[in-house]
Amino acid sequence: MAAPMRNVDEIRNRVILGEFGVKNVHSTDFPGNYPEYDDTWNQKKFQKNFRIDIIQMDENSMEFDMVGIDAAIANAFRRILLAEVPTMAVEKVFIYNNTSIIQDEILAHRLGLIPIKADPRLFEYRNADDEEGTEIDTIQLQLKVKCTRNPRASKDSSDPSELYINHMVYSRDMKWVPIGNQADVFGEAGIAPVHGDILLAQLRPGQELDIVMHCVKGIGKDHAKFSPVATASYRLLPEITLLQPVKGEMAERLKRCFSPGVIELESIEGTPVAKVVNSRLDTCSREVLRHDDLKNLVKLGRVRDHFIFSVESTGILAPDILVSEAIKVLMAKCRKFLNELDSVEME
Amino acid sequence: MVMKNPDVEFCGYSITHPSESKINFRIQTRGGLPAVEPFRKGLNDLTEVCQYVLDTFEARVKEFSDREAAMD
Repeated sequence: MAAPMRNVDEIRNRVILGEFGVKNVHSTDFPGNYPEYDDTWNQKKFQKNFRIDIIQMDENSMEFDMVGIDAAIANAFRRILLAEVPTMAVEKVFIYNNTSIIQDEILAHRLGLIPIKADPRLFEYRNADDEEGTEIDTIQLQLKVKCTRNPRASKDSSDPSELYINHMVYSRDMKWVPIGNQADVFGEAGIAPVHGDILLAQLRPGQELDIVMHCVKGIGKDHAKFSPVATASYRLLPEITLLQPVKGEMAERLKRCFSPGVIELESIEGTPVAKVVNSRLDTCSREVLRHDDLKNLVKLGRVRDHFIFSVESTGILAPDILVSEAIKVLMAKCRKFLNELDSVEME
Repeated sequence: MVMKNPDVEFCGYSITHPSESKINFRIQTRGGLPAVEPFRKGLNDLTEVCQYVLDTFEARVKEFSDREAAMD
């Protein structure tokens, strides 16, 4: 009885990486599918099995584990992080003077993609028909640069940074123009691009840029410039099981088939024996399945409900705040649906 | 979420046309129960899950940053 049960558990909990394909990809634990299991949704059972472990976190990126949650919900968090967490970005570019070699639309496109360090939770969305923009939904930035010849340069130098003044336009040249009460709200720190060293354009003497920009709040679904993450991804925890003890020269080769640090050799009675030390580091390249004598000794799989998330922020908001915001967006959507349901039932 | 409900016999969705953001969502219950019930229960359960995930996540983040601060 133990062997078939283990088989069923395997189908329920593991994604199997075979030689020619990946098996058991879809989750099948729904009520009625397995006679011995009660798969009805139970919040207490979920809370008992669920845990989050933070592996690494710094100001721009974090890596954390979510264990015990269904793939659909984990994927929903990932998709919301990419496309539905709002940020502020340059939307309207008023070009009063552009005599540089960069075309207007190319320059406007580049300005839109610059991340602006402004907390989007303090702003509102702009109404569709509002042309001017008020202090609660718009940030105004100005870029005014003129390139001139440097009178103090030596006669025969050919280095542009010596010959010209202001010939490189960086994102730090974008200056914030406070509207209304923004000066009191944001005061000291002000609003500026996250990175000041993004090169926008190169100028030569006589060329100038005179641009006013309006930033609005938007989501990544509308335009990728509003996406708050450099990327957000997850992978499932790999699992490597050795079906038989592997010794000697085969152990050496087995070790080389996996990423470094996954398999270590320990010496038992003189011969090196392979042992799985840290399967988390593996990238699941299935290299071991290419060798005929090694492929029947291991079983490769992934744990279906253990997600290793990796979130890298563009710098506007800290990555842990981004994840919290993503979860709140999902809750808001559920609530909106419930309200809709209730209002329809009233009629 | 809705599939985890034992009263639901069929649950699925389809997208009518990729250009318009409209989804056809179909729930069929095993006799007797009005179909809005599993939908409502599913949404409520999902909200509960999200709330629990949020609370756990924020607690762990705080714990992690306290641990980091203590080590420095």
